Amino acid sequence: MSGKASSSQPTVRLSGSGGLSHVYIQYPPLRCNISGSRGLFYDDGNKLLHSPTSDRVFSWKTVPFSSLADPISDLISEGPILSIRYSLDEKFIAVQRSNHDIQFWHRETGETFSQRCRSESESILGFFWTDCPLCDIVFVKTSGLDFFAYNSESKLLHLVETRKLNVSWYVYTHESRLVLLASGMQCKTFNGFQLSSMGIIRLPRFEMAMAKPEADSKPVLAAEDIFIITVYGRIYCVQVDRVAMLLHLYRFYRDAVVQQGSLPIYSSRISVSVVDNVLLVHQVDAKVVILYDIFADSQAPISAPLPLLLRDLRRYNSSASQSGREDCESSEANIVSENEATIYGDDWTFLVPDLICDAANKILWKIHLDLEAISASSSEMPSVLEFLQRRKLEVKKAKQLCLAMARTVILERRPVAMVARAMDVLVTSYSHSIKMGSYLKGIKSEKALPSTATYVGSPSSAADTTASRMGVLGRSAKHESAASADSEHFNRTSTFSTSDTEENASFEPPKTNPSDIQSVDSRMDVGANVQTSSSQHHLLGASNTPLDANVSEQQEELTSPAIAPDEMYGFVFTPVEEEMVGDPSYLVAIIVEFLHSANSEKIKVHPNLYVLTIQLLARNERYTELGLFVINKILEPSKEVALQLLESGRQNIQTRKLGLDMLRQLSLHHDYVLFLVQDGYYLEALRYARKYKVNTVRPSLFLEAAYASNDSQRLAAVLRFFSDFIPGFQNTSDHNTYYRILNEMSSSIAGHCF
Amino acid sequence: MGLSSADTATEAIQLCIFDLRRGQQEGQELDKILFFFPADFPFSRQLSVIGLSEGLITFTRIFSPEVACEVIEADRHTHVFYEAEPDIWMVMIVEKNESEAIWRVDALQKVLKEIHSLFLMFHGSIRALLEKEPAGGLIRSHLYPFIIDYLRDFLFGKKLLLPSFRDCLKERGTVQMLTVSREAAIEVQSLVRLLEGSAGNKPCYSLILFQDLLVSTTLSPVDTISLFTYSILRLTPHALSSGVSSWSYLRKGSTASHVATGSILTHSASVLEQVYGSQDTSHGVDDNYHVARPLQQDRWSKGNDGFLVTDLWGAENGSSTPAAPTIWLQQTEERMYLSAYQYKSLTLILLVPVASILNGDQGVSLVKQQVHENASLKMLKVEEILSKGWGGENAYHVSGYRYLLVDGDRSVSRSSPPGKVTTLTKESLLVLSKVREEVDLEKGQMVGVNAGLEKDLEICIRAKNNAWVIARITKGKEVYMVLERANDTLLYASEAVEKFSNRYCNGAFSLD
Repeated sequence: MSGKASSSQPTVRLSGSGGLSHVYIQYPPLRCNISGSRGLFYDDGNKLLHSPTSDRVFSWKTVPFSSLADPISDLISEGPILSIRYSLDEKFIAVQRSNHDIQFWHRETGETFSQRCRSESESILGFFWTDCPLCDIVFVKTSGLDFFAYNSESKLLHLVETRKLNVSWYVYTHESRLVLLASGMQCKTFNGFQLSSMGIIRLPRFEMAMAKPEADSKPVLAAEDIFIITVYGRIYCVQVDRVAMLLHLYRFYRDAVVQQGSLPIYSSRISVSVVDNVLLVHQVDAKVVILYDIFADSQAPISAPLPLLLRDLRRYNSSASQSGREDCESSEANIVSENEATIYGDDWTFLVPDLICDAANKILWKIHLDLEAISASSSEMPSVLEFLQRRKLEVKKAKQLCLAMARTVILERRPVAMVARAMDVLVTSYSHSIKMGSYLKGIKSEKALPSTATYVGSPSSAADTTASRMGVLGRSAKHESAASADSEHFNRTSTFSTSDTEENASFEPPKTNPSDIQSVDSRMDVGANVQTSSSQHHLLGASNTPLDANVSEQQEELTSPAIAPDEMYGFVFTPVEEEMVGDPSYLVAIIVEFLHSANSEKIKVHPNLYVLTIQLLARNERYTELGLFVINKILEPSKEVALQLLESGRQNIQTRKLGLDMLRQLSLHHDYVLFLVQDGYYLEALRYARKYKVNTVRPSLFLEAAYASNDSQRLAAVLRFFSDFIPGFQNTSDHNTYYRILNEMSSSIAGHCF
Repeated sequence: MGLSSADTATEAIQLCIFDLRRGQQEGQELDKILFFFPADFPFSRQLSVIGLSEGLITFTRIFSPEVACEVIEADRHTHVFYEAEPDIWMVMIVEKNESEAIWRVDALQKVLKEIHSLFLMFHGSIRALLEKEPAGGLIRSHLYPFIIDYLRDFLFGKKLLLPSFRDCLKERGTVQMLTVSREAAIEVQSLVRLLEGSAGNKPCYSLILFQDLLVSTTLSPVDTISLFTYSILRLTPHALSSGVSSWSYLRKGSTASHVATGSILTHSASVLEQVYGSQDTSHGVDDNYHVARPLQQDRWSKGNDGFLVTDLWGAENGSSTPAAPTIWLQQTEERMYLSAYQYKSLTLILLVPVASILNGDQGVSLVKQQVHENASLKMLKVEEILSKGWGGENAYHVSGYRYLLVDGDRSVSRSSPPGKVTTLTKESLLVLSKVREEVDLEKGQMVGVNAGLEKDLEICIRAKNNAWVIARITKGKEVYMVLERANDTLLYASEAVEKFSNRYCNGAFSLD
């Protein structure tokens, strides 16, 4: 249904979302159906999905996500499996066999060993691999944490450290490197550790808020009610309070845990995902999802609750031409079966950060944001642009949408104040990305980094961090306002999470910051870019201006949806100017606003935009204003501007003079002299040429002009000038020709006289 | 003599307007006279003044049909002519000083021109009013109070003081601009768009002043000049608080040089009425005509909402609220509603076409409300940024120089602050006035001969008091300066101009 709607609308749609959803999963899913499978295990450290059979374990890469991914398989011995995780270098396979032991395989040599609990009283709740320098693997036990390092000599694990704690259950995500250990009667007292490459950081103990249904009852917090999420490089914990029907947000700092508001929930089953730094709260019972952009200070949802959409094959085909996502020439053109298509089915598990595992059907979905639909759903244009400018996953699409919105908003002649805010958003975002160095160079620097990303703390990134922090401080207040009010003092004492920069908040964390989250993201970026490149050309439409080439050649370098002033000129102002009919003063007003934003961000504007402004003003014969624009240097002097003034000044001598003056002030002597001659001021031109030693203008030009004046005195003066100041001029053909002409002229005058 | 009939204060000046197309029959000569000042002049004398002028015009037209008579230098009087509209002439007669040439014809002509363009702005053309009522009562009832109100600004004590040699470092009929940084200019332009956007899609215009200096205009040059002139006469903060002793660009100069050129002179508002009061009724001001007198002093004030209010345009029918002021644009011949808003030193004028507003004054107040809503914040910002960049009354003083810069193409001028000009000796000023007179002549000839090309001109004179008096014209730009206490070589003078040109005029006057 929605597919048809969208297929009738070519290129980027700004209205009529068609899909009636802002989030979708794309058919086909990744199928992990192996006969004899004993369940699916997600290994978030390596982004692998494991499906063990009795003697093998099959693993699918989920990043980059492709429905055609083939599994790799490893042999393991038979036995019960509670959990499987590959070591971060993927050399070992660890399988939790029971509450007391974990078995290890060396994948190359096939060597195996086991690690058991020392006492029977404690049991293993789980384990994870870590890139913390201290140890390689951490066991979470009811009695606390055990940190083990692998000793390649003894080929065994040896215990490095133990932390004694009572643990009821725990939550860990690799992207945050954070483990939260629940304890207490209600399981609402938490101890936290972050095991980053800097070492182990222990968080202060904190309690989570829980409303009581009745005075004496004490609800117990379950592991399913706690989610660790990472958005914009900040780490939050999301806690479901079933009684209050609220979702509490806690933000982690190095030395504090701060509650940062609550979101309402409308379902007893809640799950969260994070796609491109957008928090998705799945209201499972209600079968809708609500989107929050936690970056902004408001905790209002981005849009109304809407269902999660399954884009099926038909829809895919019909929309392929415009949004063409995955290149699935699916040979397995099987239709979505009824139960596969059950959205929010009982067997769905939500994997960190953006995957859905359908255990019953053994399929894996990846959640996507429908940026078009989101941007179409809000009339608050500037905030939509802000939202789009913060996107990093579908950078090109976000950018194209921004450009399209900017064009539309001008063509629709929306109030200037609103367009001004939109311009400001785009310019600020660009300025920011320039300062952060993320504009057009993210991936390169990313590639240089080791894939096993190190956390903050390496000297280089620390320097980086302080630098960017200075750049951002001013703006962070602007964009975070409320949020920053309470985070301000934490900023100083600094952070728990990935880096200062991200703490300070920005449109996107700096690409050079080697946090794992981002490196993951950027790998996705490459994938997404390659897949969508063909469609992007569509979106660009007929305009075959430089960026187009730019896009196809350097697309992997495009890491920020920020729009450079050149692109504003090429993809917004020029096309709009062509399409716009009637009074161009509206467009001038918009350009003024754009210049206003650019000036306050100290960004250089393309001279062609000035040229366009002159054309618009001249077309309307608003020469007085044009004069003001030039004199006050709103249109910064350049050769292009000067030449346009001379051109537009054909109808208006004052404007032409402004152009001439500009040439002179820019010391473009050659052009100045040429135009003086052209306007008939050849004597002045000669004087000027002599003063500034301009010898690139041919003498014949002056001579012709003097001859045209039909005044023998003037011709004689010019001839004399060249004879005096150009050595050897007397021997040139110019001299001979005009000397003869001069003689003829004077003889004819003489003839008249006598 | 005989001119001293009414009052010694005014004997020196007569001003008349007449229409050559009227009163051609014998016995109907009085019909020609549309305006005569002083009004109590006997008709016979009025007729003889006009008769002389008419005769000269007719005679000189034989040789120069386009530009007829400009001036008659009689033994004791100078007659300055200005053809305001085809066949409608304004003539001003001033008494000469026996020993010194105190008048400069061009400066006096500019006064006539200013009167006429202001009249055009408020009432439309004289010819149109004549056609509306061929008997002439209508035009006379308009002209008389208008010019009297205008002349009141030149009243100093009991004397009418017209621009003389002391004002030769000023140029009437030009605007003075504030120099602003790029940042401020963008901010101002942004405000202009907001302002003009407040009237919806109607094509409107705006003018923004800071103190008595122009910051932005979207009007044509000729309308800009008229409205700018009116604004500094009646609307800017200085004009509004003319009684209060506050800084005024013009005031200082005028009191210092004893020649009133601007608004000012509160206490004297009634002097002309005392002097000519008896004539008011006898001469054309007929109660049958309701005539707005926009040049009346002290009739504008700042309302609570920041908009300037006046009852000069009368009241709306049957109500006590004042009617919205309207003016005519010369460029488009459109009638516009004028709304002026003032915030501190910032004065904003918005012109909205009368034709585009259907429900009259109510529509105007709607637009005002929009302006208030849309632009208030921006105004604060612009005012702040302009105040920050504002160098005070002596901002454009260049030490060592007393100068006047005129950009003829843009009708913009800038000069040494009046307070600094007064430090010049009378001698220097007289010489400069003379030089300017010569340059005016030269310019007049340039226009005639070779209209396509502009000639450069340079005059450098060593006055008796050893001051250098310099005039230089390049490509439509003029600079006049006086260097007192200067070195005595011509090279020095020439270098001084060069230095000035490079520093303050982007090298516009540097010798090529």
